[in-house]
Amino acid sequence: MIAEKLYLKAESLEQAIYEANGHPDSFRYIAGGTDVIVNKFQGNDESTYLIDISGIKELKNVVTAENHIEIGSLVTLDDLQKHKIIADNFPILLEAAHSVASPMIRKTATLGGNLLCENRCSFYNQTEWWREAVGYCLKCEGDICIATGGKKNCFSKFVADTAVALISLNASIEIFENNTTSIIPLESIYTGDGVSPRNFNKTSIIKSIHIPTNNGYKGVYKKLRQRESLEFSSLTTSVTIDKLGEIRIALGGVDPKPILIVGTIKDDLQSLITKAVKKARIVDNDVYSREYRKEMISVYLNRSFKELGK
Amino acid sequence: MKQIKLKINGKQYDLLVNNHEMLSSVIREKVGLTGTKVGCDQGSCGACTVLVNKEPVLSCITPALRFDNAEITTIEAIAKDGELHELQEKFVEKGAIQCGFCTPGMVMTSLSLVPTLKKEDGVESIIHQIKDGLSGNLCRCTGYKKIIEAVAEYALEKHGLKPVSEKGKSNYKTISGAVGVGRPYIEAEKKVKGSADYADDIVSKNALHCKFLRSIYPHAKIENIDLTEALKLEGVHYIATGKELPIKFGVLPISQDETAMAVEKVRYIGEIVAAVAADSEDIAAEACKLIKVQYKRIKEFLQIDDSLNDVGENEKIHEYGKFNNNIHKKAELRFGDQQQGLLDADVTSKMSFEFEGINHGFTEPHAATAFWDENGLTITTATQVPHYLHRALAKVMEVPLSRVRVIKPYLGGGFGGKSDPFPHEVIVSHIARKTGRPVRVRLTREEVFLTNHGRHPSKLTVQMGISKDGFMKVLDADVAIDGGAYGSFGVVTSYYNGVLLQAPYKLDNFGFRTYRVYTNKPQCGAMRGHGAVNTRFAVESMIDELANKIKMDPCELRMKNFLDSNTLTVGHYRITSNGSRESLQKVMEQSEWKKRYGKLKTGHGLGVGCGFFISGSALPIIWNELPQSVVHLKLDFDGRVLITSGASDIGQGSDTMLAIIVSEVLGLGMDKLFVLAADTLITPVDFGSYSSRVTFMAGNAAKDAAENLKKEIIDAIIKVKEISAEELNFADSRVFSNDKKVDLSWLEVVDILTAKRGAVSVSGKYISPKLGGDFKGSGAGLSPSYTFGAVVAEVDVDTETGQVKILNVWGAHDCGKALNPLAVEGQLEGSWHMGIGQAMSEQMKYYNGLLVNNNFLDYKIPTTLDTPPIHANIIETNDPEGPFGAKEAGEGAIHPVLPAIANAVFNAVGVRITKLPISAEDVLNQIKANKLSKEKSLA
Ligand SMILES: Cc1cc2nc3c(=O)[nH]c(=O)nc-3n(C[C@H](O)[C@H](O)[C@H](O)COP(=O)(O)OP(=O)(O)OC[C@H]3O[C@@H](n4cnc5c(N)ncnc54)[C@H](O)[C@@H]3O)c2cc1C
Ligand code: FES
Ligand code: FES
Repeated sequence: MIAEKLYLKAESLEQAIYEANGHPDSFRYIAGGTDVIVNKFQGNDESTYLIDISGIKELKNVVTAENHIEIGSLVTLDDLQKHKIIADNFPILLEAAHSVASPMIRKTATLGGNLLCENRCSFYNQTEWWREAVGYCLKCEGDICIATGGKKNCFSKFVADTAVALISLNASIEIFENNTTSIIPLESIYTGDGVSPRNFNKTSIIKSIHIPTNNGYKGVYKKLRQRESLEFSSLTTSVTIDKLGEIRIALGGVDPKPILIVGTIKDDLQSLITKAVKKARIVDNDVYSREYRKEMISVYLNRSFKELGK
Repeated sequence: MKQIKLKINGKQYDLLVNNHEMLSSVIREKVGLTGTKVGCDQGSCGACTVLVNKEPVLSCITPALRFDNAEITTIEAIAKDGELHELQEKFVEKGAIQCGFCTPGMVMTSLSLVPTLKKEDGVESIIHQIKDGLSGNLCRCTGYKKIIEAVAEYALEKHGLKPVSEKGKSNYKTISGAVGVGRPYIEAEKKVKGSADYADDIVSKNALHCKFLRSIYPHAKIENIDLTEALKLEGVHYIATGKELPIKFGVLPISQDETAMAVEKVRYIGEIVAAVAADSEDIAAEACKLIKVQYKRIKEFLQIDDSLNDVGENEKIHEYGKFNNNIHKKAELRFGDQQQGLLDADVTSKMSFEFEGINHGFTEPHAATAFWDENGLTITTATQVPHYLHRALAKVMEVPLSRVRVIKPYLGGGFGGKSDPFPHEVIVSHIARKTGRPVRVRLTREEVFLTNHGRHPSKLTVQMGISKDGFMKVLDADVAIDGGAYGSFGVVTSYYNGVLLQAPYKLDNFGFRTYRVYTNKPQCGAMRGHGAVNTRFAVESMIDELANKIKMDPCELRMKNFLDSNTLTVGHYRITSNGSRESLQKVMEQSEWKKRYGKLKTGHGLGVGCGFFISGSALPIIWNELPQSVVHLKLDFDGRVLITSGASDIGQGSDTMLAIIVSEVLGLGMDKLFVLAADTLITPVDFGSYSSRVTFMAGNAAKDAAENLKKEIIDAIIKVKEISAEELNFADSRVFSNDKKVDLSWLEVVDILTAKRGAVSVSGKYISPKLGGDFKGSGAGLSPSYTFGAVVAEVDVDTETGQVKILNVWGAHDCGKALNPLAVEGQLEGSWHMGIGQAMSEQMKYYNGLLVNNNFLDYKIPTTLDTPPIHANIIETNDPEGPFGAKEAGEGAIHPVLPAIANAVFNAVGVRITKLPISAEDVLNQIKANKLSKEKSLA
């Protein structure tokens, strides 16, 4: 007999977390499920208990606070555009959301889920059979990284497009765990280790995403990909300048974690760009080569600054 | 398992579902609403879109348990009370439906999209929003053009931006006339309603489900297979391994080199090693995991070059074959004197090119169900060639041909990828016999990619020379093609890579050498434009290069060299009708070539390419004296003409084509025709849908049959009426003389015909004329007729990133006569779209013999947003032997588009493309290199 799997449509945060704590080794939350289900189909996600949080209403609101807005983690990527405040203040977040996956997926995929979308690699996002044939890599309990031809570190790439935009907007996330709520900068949850790319307690839940509203951000978002739809990122860049002249450069798709470079308009922009390029640990796990993606970081950032009038 | 309530299409269901079961599976398998299609199972194609509480979701990645108590709407509920929804009508009317497999998803997505369109910014913005909104729905057949037209017209009418077309006026239902009148496919309504059954939609009672264990090594001896644990699993009924099915098969009689499962050794990663039949797919899949196979690896051959080297006896991929290496087939032909040609040329050029393998990417995965009864074997399967499968099954099952029946249901695209007999078809037939139960299989998208049979990767070097005034003096091609592990159509491919270069230009000195090697990768076979796409690309690029060298407009150079109509090529192809010049002229005009070529700013370019293809192979694959196609007509008391034909409609519209031809000959309305095709028990043999033969051959057979029926009718009438045969006209479903002395309704005609005789059956056939020269290899590429075409592409190249964006594609194709212009346009648009894919983003990428991009996310078929405006032009030359002048339109059109794009890149930034897909990185590097050498030469 094949073992019976479990599924729960959670009615509240508390219920979800209670169940999660009861099955710490076998559970996985799903919000939209658009990342998890495909990973399950391929056997990358082996959880046998799916705790579906998509019905928890309190995570679906967009609230305006004094100097920030709070976007519920379950707001779908498609619904973001329906909120005028987001459209008016953070057009790059909408662009980023719009660049994810496909229109149909964006109707199901949530913002919170996107932030926690699993890192990717051509040698990992494959079926169980395929990975057995290639000889399992580091990210699935193998001994070496195949993309780099044998390194002992995993460089699966970080692909969450909205996170890149959000980090450039200095966003934080509100996390609920063990009955307490904490607010931390978004970038702080990413470890840079391709095998376990997030330093995030598996049983905790992201309640909302906070973006400061008074910084007067201007921003430019770009995504390198072969097709204009149905594509994970080969390089995502998001650059903002706030009213005080602070520059935030965020990159995705070129490292196991999002890369953040902070500077000001007084800095030499080229040296900021060089810094960003240097920080990216790109490996050949994408349709575009390592060298090309690296070169494109500069091109994209230069263009972004130009578009920002710098 | 859990009980849930779902209200599906207004009906309440209490369903027991598996906890992790997807909604698509519940809808299709549990509720039996198979209009919802599954093309990828991974959220990457959109075929499975349904509405949940009015919002669209991809049902293949949505757990059913999420939606307890929800309201679900599937495609089956969109037409109301037998009437199509307005949007569905638009799909039908515009010809937006070819194979129809993407259609339900397209309709559901569009229905939810249209109300959300923002109309403030006008029509163009609406069309862009539609493209954007459909950019997660892949279609491989249409190039999206007609789909977007259908949705746009519906949307504009809905939003009050366009007057609603009066019902009846633009209504496709009242179309009259036959040949030359554009009409939707006869089965289009069924497809748009989701009620057309494809192979996986047909459920046999009590069927077992089959799953395969596949090899994880490219080349290895099978030392042992241990089934013990797998057999213990409850619900497993049978496990088959290679030894049970040792008889070899293959589509060509000269390369019967494949078995249903690996017998002694495996030859590629993905080859089937064992097959489990169980109560459910899950159980079968689980059992596969429990099978233990011991392999001993053998030296593997993954690149063309490896396979050229001499090998030790046990290292050959196949023991048969004459060479002491892994070369499968060499072909060489030479005409004229190439040495002299080189001397005669003022300018010569020699270039090398490289091409990656391409997969057909049809949206419907392979699926089949087989069972045995007192009549022997019946298999319902997604095949383009029921006839060859029929033969292969009889051979491998060791039963007489009379004990096999192959039925092709509606088919979700083929493009060559469903035109071999496949292992899975043999295996389910075998297990069905062993278990006495129907056995069902459907491949996952990954398995479809592993099954492959796609376009061969190739490497080639071409040398060409022209005179100063632009006349071609010599062409020589040296081509290596990577066949993968088995023969498939490879011998034909080997020839086509060479012979199909002898037109559309006049060449006196022409030669080629091609060789196909075996490698330890999934086999390659036939794909749209078979064998000639890559070499055509090379030659058209060289022509561009040479024109550039002698500073001549590349269109002018081509015009100078085109073969005339009614000539022979250097290799003895008989060219009859030839629309090369008209095609090129047309696209030059539309693109404003003369005005713009050479005058655009850097980064912006125009490029041209031409092409040529066969319209049906004059020689059969299996040598015999059968006609290439036979069509039967039966007319009975009810006045309906039943057309039976073995031809496979795979979405290209051949059923409709047959009806149009019979309708034209008999002057009979389409409502009195019924097409029954591709069931080897009932329908007469047609060789199948490959080599662009169906319109020409089955079309001619249908015409012959209809003329025979017409004769029978005339004979019957002149026996009872005082009238001569010449006086009778057939039109508007009547038979009459001009003076109305005789004026019969169709039923009166039928009464006369069937009196004292009953139903009348007639037969028609097509046999190709004897063609070709008297030398070995002369048969390759012989066709009773050839098609020609041209494309101009316009591109924009970003000089800082090397990214190429196609702005426009203008294409023209000489199809002789468009029997159904709407369908021909659809074929052309689809061909150009597929060519764009190969030029821009598609490739099969391997890592140590393992296919890396085996899904629709990583194998990049262009989406709506990646597809530029495509402008299709039909050129008519009325072929003397085609049915009503018609020739093929399904394959040949693809050739010119790829080089046109590449030549446009050259025109834009001076970078010559020698590898496909075009890599932004290569373009960028070349731009930089050009700049450097320019600076150097200036210094
Ligand atoms: C064809 C295809 C293309 C895609 N393209 C892209 C792309 O271009 N860019 C991109 O970024 N992604 C892409 N994705 C991945 C995915 O669709 C998105 O990342 C999506 O935003 C994930 O959101 P979700 O709600 O579906 O997440 P889920 O799949 O439900 O969850 C993702 C992860 O987040 C966890 N999680 C979700 N919500 C919470 C929460 N509130 N608190 C704690 N944990 C939570 C889950 O446990 C899981 O680990 C693609 C997916 C597919 C199938
Ligand atoms: S089958 Fe669901 S998206 Fe392809
Ligand atoms: S009609 Fe769209 S895939 Fe065939």
